[in-house]
Amino acid sequence: MTPRCPICKAPLAPRAENRAWPFCSARCRMVDLGRWLGEDYRFAGPVEPEAAHDTARGWAPQRVEPPDDEA
Amino acid sequence: MSELTAGPGAGAPSAEYSASSIKVLEGLEAVRKRPGMYIGDTATRGLHHLVWEVVDNAIDEALAGHCDIVKVAMRVDGSITVEDNGRGIPTDMHPTEHKPAAEVVMTILHAGGKFDNDAYKVSGGLHGVGVSVVNALSERLHLEIFRDGKVYTQDYARGEPQTPLEVVGETSRRGTRITFRPDPEVFETTQFSFDTLSQRLRELAFLNRGILIVIEDEESGKKHEFQYQGGIVSFVEHLCKGKGPLHPDPIFLAGEKEGIQVEMAMQWNTGYQETVFSFANNINTHEGGTHLSGLKAALTRTVNAYAQKENLLAKLKEVPAGDDIREGLTAVISVKLPQPQFEGQTKTKLGNSAVKGLVEAIVNEHLSVYFEENPRVAKEIVNKAVDAARARAAARKARDLARRKGALDSGDLPGKLADCQERDPRKCELFLVEGESAGGSAKAGRDRTYQAILPLRGKILNVEKSRFDKMLSSQEIRILISALGTGIGTEDFDVEKLRYHRIIIMTDADVDGSHIRTLLLTFFFRQMPELVARGHLFIAQPPLFKAKKGRQVTYLKDERALNAHLLRSGASDLVVWGQDQQEGLTGDDFLHFLEKVDRYLSTLDKLGRRIEPRVLDSFLEEFDGGLERLKDRDEVDRILAAMGARMARLWPSMRVISAAARLDDEFQTFDLVLRTEDNGHERRSTIGRELLSEISELRTLKQQIRDRVAAPCRLAEKGASPDEGVAFEDLRSLFEHVRQKSQKGFDIQRYKGLGEMNPDQLWETTLDAGARTLLQVRVEDGVEADEIFTILMGDQVDPRREFIQENALNVRNLDV
Repeated sequence: MTPRCPICKAPLAPRAENRAWPFCSARCRMVDLGRWLGEDYRFAGPVEPEAAHDTARGWAPQRVEPPDDEA
Repeated sequence: MSELTAGPGAGAPSAEYSASSIKVLEGLEAVRKRPGMYIGDTATRGLHHLVWEVVDNAIDEALAGHCDIVKVAMRVDGSITVEDNGRGIPTDMHPTEHKPAAEVVMTILHAGGKFDNDAYKVSGGLHGVGVSVVNALSERLHLEIFRDGKVYTQDYARGEPQTPLEVVGETSRRGTRITFRPDPEVFETTQFSFDTLSQRLRELAFLNRGILIVIEDEESGKKHEFQYQGGIVSFVEHLCKGKGPLHPDPIFLAGEKEGIQVEMAMQWNTGYQETVFSFANNINTHEGGTHLSGLKAALTRTVNAYAQKENLLAKLKEVPAGDDIREGLTAVISVKLPQPQFEGQTKTKLGNSAVKGLVEAIVNEHLSVYFEENPRVAKEIVNKAVDAARARAAARKARDLARRKGALDSGDLPGKLADCQERDPRKCELFLVEGESAGGSAKAGRDRTYQAILPLRGKILNVEKSRFDKMLSSQEIRILISALGTGIGTEDFDVEKLRYHRIIIMTDADVDGSHIRTLLLTFFFRQMPELVARGHLFIAQPPLFKAKKGRQVTYLKDERALNAHLLRSGASDLVVWGQDQQEGLTGDDFLHFLEKVDRYLSTLDKLGRRIEPRVLDSFLEEFDGGLERLKDRDEVDRILAAMGARMARLWPSMRVISAAARLDDEFQTFDLVLRTEDNGHERRSTIGRELLSEISELRTLKQQIRDRVAAPCRLAEKGASPDEGVAFEDLRSLFEHVRQKSQKGFDIQRYKGLGEMNPDQLWETTLDAGARTLLQVRVEDGVEADEIFTILMGDQVDPRREFIQENALNVRNLDV
């Protein structure tokens, strides 16, 4: 498998000769940072908001099951 | 070039005109005296300019619809031949000059059809100096005209006619053919470049759709033929080749008004380069001008208007600027207009102000229609611009963060961070703790001399009715970067400035925790790979269970560890005797025995989908030897009978419906086919040649277990005699019995989250360097790195909402 830039999908130069690794360029790294700061990287989950907010939430397995109304 | 008129201002009275034409003749002398004024310079550029002057005349003829082939040949003697199949330069006598029109064109400055608006509506001609300049600067020039069935020729030397224009023969073709050899007295070099000629001729072929342009170097034999039915669309495709286009076909926009024709082709690619060429009457307007500024302004407006309308800019603080929108854009704009005004240093800036409004109107109207009709392309383009705007903002923030780290040293740390006292980064640890309450416990429980705590709780967003997205908030990302002190970005990141040499991710052992951990790992892996490479990144292992027996408390990280712990504790109080064994198995020996039983049973269960575990267990009990055994019908029948008897004895609830031997013709072995029923649940199990190789490990285990403790065995509390023990023939009931016994007296607590632990417990189990276990996150070169890479970098389905798959990261992959 050839590693590819996670942003533009271009094949990556080997790490030793690529200061921007694991990106193809400093520019793609900035696009990535922009996405982090723009809160684009997410886990999508049908999770009860209460459960997710509460740090001391229950471990009960049913909490992690998707609700029925999830398409 | 049919309606040839001479001299500037075709409509001028002829009496005045003849006088001024004398001046013009002196003009040709001026051309030789100051060639730079007419063709720019006398070096390579000026030399090639000669070719363009002649070619432009042919292209004009093509634009007027009279010519479709232009041939340029580099001759062996250093001369150039330009040939077209146009109408041929007129040969009739010029009314005021009293010589053939062709000779007027060749000898009088600014003579030619292109200087008359009516002869050619639109004309190129680089600086409009005309072919007479080429003639004046050529050591010799040979003119051939094919017109009205006749062939005319004339020779010149340094602009002076050497022969009259004369008919030398007859022909059926038409056109003009000019061969000239640049004057070495004028030019510093007379060496033409095939590549330079090819490049511009290709450009002309793009700009003038359909026309065939041939370039040939007669010395080397190199030859190109350029012809593009797609015109500037082909041009853009050519420029975009191999650049990863964002949408398959270039967008083409065109319009015409008041004699001004506008054509635009554009295509975005995944790169960041902006490549925009602008042309006016085939001239490359390097300095831009009204057409280009019209295109840029309208592009910015149209893309942003569409994005606003489709609500694609919701997350942006500022709308994308023109530069953001043109990132990765390849575009060609070509306008053709009468009386172009060229301005600027090199006279390559279009000045006609009417062009700007026209270009804007065309883009506004047609591009928005295109976006409506191609929403997917439009979204790709907008998304790219949004990324560009974000990247610009991110780069600015990265610089800010890098600059601010000076202030961090003086104690101005992010408020949420509880820093440590130690200043030597090699001794410092930073815990990234999931949740405010766990963060509170960690702050209270840590060793503040060298341990710092940064609580992170992630952010939850209700995106749709029943969907909640989890992410690290931008504020948390910024705080994290500030706390680490390294700055960020390819140029600004400096690992030497790292303030903690151990960064320890501490999340709950549940789905949320694994999500936050994956996000953090991905962030570090992408934005700070140096940290990972240098082994600065760790994962804490908080316990999932607390097992308490009497006063003894043990923390256990997962279910497996808990079971092992319970079993160990249970085994220490029990003794087991095998059939006819006087010496009981105790302590570690018993524990090893139980571990083997555990492995045996879980392997049985793994095969349980295909074969009822009790059937397989009985088979293993009754079968020994190799494949040969399965060839013996009598032996197979005996095994089946023994299995049936054993199952009836051990598991009365299970009924054997049928048990039969079935011959496998190909290998002449028998398969054992058993149908069983238990509690209304019917199953069919087949044991045969194929399975035998698969279960060799299971058979070994079974043998080892039997060697240790022969069935049936007896189990009792330590100190009891064999007679007092409970008898077991079935390993599973034995194992379950031990497990139940071993749980006795234990108080087992399952931690729902880190927040449930009090500061002391957190210290004891997770923070204390003397007691904790940490997983170091490492990415070595090689296959495994690639795997993690694929997992973390997994292809995004939707670029705007890049979800990192659940369970994307298996921590064991990163275990060292």
